[in-house]
Amino acid sequence: MILLPCPWCGPRNVAEFGYVGEAGPRPDPASAGPEEWRGYLYGRANPCGWVAESWYHRMGCRRYISVERHTLSNEVRPLATEGAGR
Amino acid sequence: MSDHVRRAASADARGPIARSPIAPAPPVAAVAGWEVSARRSDADLTVTDLTPLAKVQVKAPWDGALAGTLGGPFGRAERSASFEDAEGDDEDVLVVGSGPGEWLALGSPGTAPDLVERLERLAARLPNPEFVTVVDLTHGRALIRIAGERTPDLLAKVCGIDLGETVTPNGAAFRSSVARLAVDVVRYDRDGTRSYLLHCERSSGQYLFDALLDAGGEFGAEIDGFVEPGLS
Repeated sequence: MILLPCPWCGPRNVAEFGYVGEAGPRPDPASAGPEEWRGYLYGRANPCGWVAESWYHRMGCRRYISVERHTLSNEVRPLATEGAGR
Repeated sequence: MSDHVRRAASADARGPIARSPIAPAPPVAAVAGWEVSARRSDADLTVTDLTPLAKVQVKAPWDGALAGTLGGPFGRAERSASFEDAEGDDEDVLVVGSGPGEWLALGSPGTAPDLVERLERLAARLPNPEFVTVVDLTHGRALIRIAGERTPDLLAKVCGIDLGETVTPNGAAFRSSVARLAVDVVRYDRDGTRSYLLHCERSSGQYLFDALLDAGGEFGAEIDGFVEPGLS
């Protein structure tokens, strides 16, 4: 079982979350070209190692959280959280 | 029209009968305009359909002025002083901090319009206006109460949260997976006896009720009917 550290609810079973995907900075809409948008929308690095991910706590606080997960061991560690104010 | 519905309708001729998504166990009666089960049980573990209670959802900034006025911070359920009437009597409203910036106010059956009005008035009186929404969910959600000392054992079969005294004392509230549904759980002890309120989408109400009865079978869980005002 994977426990995800929700900053609002505490550690919760991963089954309570929806997987959103690899987290990354959004390109600037004013200057980004089609290739950059394509990479942002569809390209995934999928490394063997630590990767920053977004998850949606659909059965809890209904907030998006960001964590780092090791794709080989499924070890999880917290990352700066979007929207959480505490 | 089935027999039990006809009986319920004749028992309360004041208006249309509202129905819970959970089929009432016979005998059926009409209470405050709702078709409810009149069954009484003195079992050690009981499951009660409390759907007739007024259920109003409030959304506002989690760190705003309304949050301070409402009471019931995230993770806690409290009877709110904001709902006392002019004489200072308790209006029997329970405010549950069900999420960050999200509250659920539970009141006696039939009080939802009044509760919505009070909450809107409360929001309108704030010194600095905030973006607040108040929605009556009474007929869109199901509410179930389980009571008895073995309720933690029952819940432990369908929910992964630590129900110990240190993590979830009386008045604790959280939303989690219960029988694979997203459910608001509130610990609300009655006369010193363990009790939990479970609040879920209306369409999942019957399933959750059946799942709780099924999980509580080994502890002797029985259905107990609705008695006004519901939250004692």
